[in-house]
Amino acid sequence: MEIRRKVQAGTMQSSDLMVFVEPAEKLIIEIESTVIKQFEHLIRAKVSEVLDRLEVTRAAVRITDRGALDYAIEARLESALRRAATEG
Amino acid sequence: MVVELITQGDIGKARALIERAGLRFEEEFDVLVGAFEGGEMVATGARSGNILKMLAIAPEQQEGSLLGELVTELVRSGLPLNFDSFFVFTRPMHVSSFEALNFRLLVSHGPVALLEHGNALSRYFAAHRHLAVTGENGAVVMNCNPFTRGHRYLIEKAAGSVDRLFVFVVREDRSAFPFEVRLRLVREGVAHLPNVHVLDSSHYAVSSVTFPAYFLKASDPVSQLQIEIDLLLFARHIAPHFHISQRFIGTEPYCRTTRLYSDAMKRILPGHGVNVCELDRLTVDKKPVSAYRVREAIRREAHETLRQLVPDTTMNYLLSSEAAAIREKLVTYDRRH
Repeated sequence: MEIRRKVQAGTMQSSDLMVFVEPAEKLIIEIESTVIKQFEHLIRAKVSEVLDRLEVTRAAVRITDRGALDYAIEARLESALRRAATEG
Repeated sequence: MVVELITQGDIGKARALIERAGLRFEEEFDVLVGAFEGGEMVATGARSGNILKMLAIAPEQQEGSLLGELVTELVRSGLPLNFDSFFVFTRPMHVSSFEALNFRLLVSHGPVALLEHGNALSRYFAAHRHLAVTGENGAVVMNCNPFTRGHRYLIEKAAGSVDRLFVFVVREDRSAFPFEVRLRLVREGVAHLPNVHVLDSSHYAVSSVTFPAYFLKASDPVSQLQIEIDLLLFARHIAPHFHISQRFIGTEPYCRTTRLYSDAMKRILPGHGVNVCELDRLTVDKKPVSAYRVREAIRREAHETLRQLVPDTTMNYLLSSEAAAIREKLVTYDRRH
């Protein structure tokens, strides 16, 4: 999947996350989270899984998480990526 | 639900809520949003460029999720503008509420705390990681509007007394010469100095971000607090990252604000391990060289004077067709006044 434009999905509410995706030369993943110490590895694993499944190899993905569960991470990230792949 | 406020009636309600929270309502904003409950406005906030401001929530609603909703909407509204970070000034007692939204505290000072959302400072550091080398390093922060022989003289002197000199060129575009041009002329003008690194100051030195005027009452010493926030940001983040132990300034004969800034620097930086070193300015015709004098010379189309005030690199640019629009602007500006 090719990332064509800058988009955002999600909110800053508790138990949710905000995802920003934009075009980039390579794959850049930045994660900020209020539970980064406990769960960064799990968030990162979920993000990588979604990126692999959608075959995204070049994108800047920035996530600010407030303790979202993994299905929320998956849903927010997938919506952002699909949105970013469409023409604005 | 948070919605954009457009009607005068809604803006008036927002204003009342903001003033009840002890903040000043400012007419300048790009977007103003609010949330209603039972017809009453319970929360409001605004975005002006990359700064979130006038965030106010009714006291009985402060425990809830309204802050997250407001900030979500304000950040979303700024998305098409390609900001890499958003900033908020708040009172120190509210810092933890913003940290829970993944804001990062940059400076807390007196009645004001400055926080950032979007981590641009970390990215800024990551982009310049190869320059963060230990040693006796120095820094100057300059606008260079445009780059003069005076700037070059100060940089040469400073560079001679440190291992590495970082020149931070002010990014804020409020000057006659646009940032990209100012940066390029500095780079060209110091290309002969191998230990000088010219950097973009980003949001972190003398930018609109470091100016929290809106937060204060008219009677407060606004400019003093602005200056101190700016210097603390430098002292606590920029200086440690680049191992900067010297900050250089030129003596300031004219500008009151610059002198206030220099005085505050001498008061604040040494306590954070940064020595302030004031260097005498270069003089031409017994008067200090300043960018203002250069702009005056452009205005008067006094090319011989100009040649004495700016290095060849800047001169070549000023005579080029690329600079025609700026020359024209400066000249006609003079004629109108």
